[in-house]
Amino acid sequence: MDYDTQDFAAEARRFLDAHAERAPDRTAVTWGEGDDSMAYFSSLPPEQETEQVRRAREWQRVRHENGFGWITGPHEYGGRGLTPVHDLLYDAVESEYEVPDTGVLSVVGLGMIGPTILAHAQPHIKERWLPAMYRGDAVACQLFSEPGAGSDLASVATRAVRAGDDWVLNGQKVWTSVAQHSQIGLALTRTNPNAPKHKGITAFLVPMDAPGVEVRPLRQMTGGADFNEVFLTDVRVPDDHRLGEVDGGWTVALTTLMNERNTVGSEGAGPVAAALSPDHLSALMRATWTWDDRALRGRLAELLVDAMATGYLNARAQRTLRAGAAPGPERSVAKLMYGQNLTCAAHFVSECLGPRIIADTGQWGTYAWSELLLATPALRILGGTEEIMKNILAERVLGLPKEARA
Amino acid sequence: MSADESELRELRLSVREFMAAKSPEEAVRKLMESEPRFDPAVWAQAADQLRLPGLVIPEEYGGDGFGLVELGVVMEEMGRALLCAPFFATVVLAAQALLASGDSEACARHLPGIAAGRTTATLAVAEEGGSWDPALISARAVPDGNGGWRLSGRKSFVIDGTTADLILVIARTVAGPSLFAVDRTAGGVAAEALETLDATRAMARLTFDSVPATPVGPDGLGGRIMARVLDIASVGLAAEQAGGARTCLEMSADHARTRQQFGRPIGSFQAVKHKCADMLVQVELAEASAREAARLAAADAPDFPVAAAVAHACCSRAYMFATMENIQVHGGIGFTWEHPAHLYFRRAKSSQLLFGGPAIYHERLLDRLGI
Repeated sequence: MDYDTQDFAAEARRFLDAHAERAPDRTAVTWGEGDDSMAYFSSLPPEQETEQVRRAREWQRVRHENGFGWITGPHEYGGRGLTPVHDLLYDAVESEYEVPDTGVLSVVGLGMIGPTILAHAQPHIKERWLPAMYRGDAVACQLFSEPGAGSDLASVATRAVRAGDDWVLNGQKVWTSVAQHSQIGLALTRTNPNAPKHKGITAFLVPMDAPGVEVRPLRQMTGGADFNEVFLTDVRVPDDHRLGEVDGGWTVALTTLMNERNTVGSEGAGPVAAALSPDHLSALMRATWTWDDRALRGRLAELLVDAMATGYLNARAQRTLRAGAAPGPERSVAKLMYGQNLTCAAHFVSECLGPRIIADTGQWGTYAWSELLLATPALRILGGTEEIMKNILAERVLGLPKEARA
Repeated sequence: MSADESELRELRLSVREFMAAKSPEEAVRKLMESEPRFDPAVWAQAADQLRLPGLVIPEEYGGDGFGLVELGVVMEEMGRALLCAPFFATVVLAAQALLASGDSEACARHLPGIAAGRTTATLAVAEEGGSWDPALISARAVPDGNGGWRLSGRKSFVIDGTTADLILVIARTVAGPSLFAVDRTAGGVAAEALETLDATRAMARLTFDSVPATPVGPDGLGGRIMARVLDIASVGLAAEQAGGARTCLEMSADHARTRQQFGRPIGSFQAVKHKCADMLVQVELAEASAREAARLAAADAPDFPVAAAVAHACCSRAYMFATMENIQVHGGIGFTWEHPAHLYFRRAKSSQLLFGGPAIYHERLLDRLGI
């Protein structure tokens, strides 16, 4: 696809100029002014959250109608047929504008499930769901993790048993983001308990309104409930909703996981961008009279070195991609560093703030940091724990032998 | 002038081949115990075959006029091989000081010899305390009454200080810190080799006793020249550090793949695996920061000084970390004199502190960010 990137960027800019306002620079804060939210996870009341999902879908529809809903997708399913470079370029241009947060659609559904459906589903399933997803009509979630299968995902125990043209699913899923808003879920199930664990798994697309699907919010340590438990009780799914071969679901899962790593490492905007911004952190040091603290200044410098070097790593990955080459391990490294950088920032800030982060005095920009602080443990776990990410780097990049696994 | 990706790959390949042939471990070990601590024949070949001394010297002064991106490629490869050569002092410190001075007469006098590999040079800044702070310069230069200058004082940590033909010295005049050129054969110059933690990088203490000196650049602008040289030298050093760190990572990964303990390769143990992954993370950050800073320098971007400070800090830490963990992965073998791991450890620690160390470069970064 030889659509010149300059023309494409200009087209994106014209579209955004017509439909959105320019965004203020979130990193150039004026201390004490505006929103001081530092939430990584949303903790909105249900009605506000529903409104947010509505706005996300609406914006996705507008994007789609203007040719920016699925930039890399094939034409037959409503995509634009352009390259990942165009995709990155659009993201960069859009980040200059104030648009609704579409994370609820894009992180899991469009970033991970969409590509998996495209790669493994039967044609009529693709026709039914892909245009709907990229138009914002359908939200998708990932029914992978279970109480007994987190990092060891191949241990899933949810059963699927053949019953005529259908399959009957029973089991419990956990850590399911956006399940409460989803129309479909991609489920990994065990179809052959006697095969080696990677070889007895089958993937299904489960309509979330099917009888027997029950979604229960799971409250996390931040106080909010971004995740859900999903209980599947005698849920009937037609065989044509199967993705890939019977017992061949691990291949399907790998497609999703590969896209997950590409999606998660690229975050960095939103309220938490300020957490790693030199201007914001120096303003905070002034406001807390820690300006001259040599130890804290040293830690600030270390923190900024890591944050900026991580930024350079992402920039390098994007340049490699633009040059038409496959990036190296930069994205995985950036994902690891992103979690660590925010964690360091939250602890650095809490030292500047002292007691002001343990009790809310109503002072601007102080207790608000507790929102990020309480989210940081999740950043070392979500999208593949630090330990799993390091195993992947060591084995796939450095060629170290696999650990003996059952 | 700047090379495209394939030219950079070609440059890297030819420098790597040269290093493999001319700077294998045996050569490094032999040179680090000899005087001078480099092989003049190899230096001449680097100039004749690869034109390395002239790489980043402008064409008008006899060089090839490339920039920091190309320099970075060469420094990474030199860092991988721990090359013992006057490259860093001559090309990265002295030649850059001449260029930063804006003194075209001095450039025309000295740079062609440097570019051709005939002249080696160094830059003498730090004194007993090792600082690069212009305020702490105490060496002095005074007019001699006949239109010339006489320079007196003591400089320490001068890289290749006993061998460099041309010595550029930062000394204080009435106008402030200023840059001067001193011929090493001039009367009143005494050089004393220092024992060094990193034996692959020779250092000396120089004493100047009313030595004839030629001003380079405007009187009193030495501080500005130092800042510019420090940025460029930090990025050159960062590339060298990234290259060395990459070698340590590869050494560790090789060892972890093959060394058997408890009946299996040690790399299959998660504790060792994660050590290697942590090294990889540091090496990737180091390379990214060193290369980004070089790229910004080549583009003459306003955020180059910030990126230079980031690269200096990031690569210093990454290299130190990689050399420490490399010894740990190797176990007792890594602690022996025969194993090359300690050569990298020594280079890493020495490089980390060459321009002052973490407390200094952290503050420099904050300063440049306006914090």
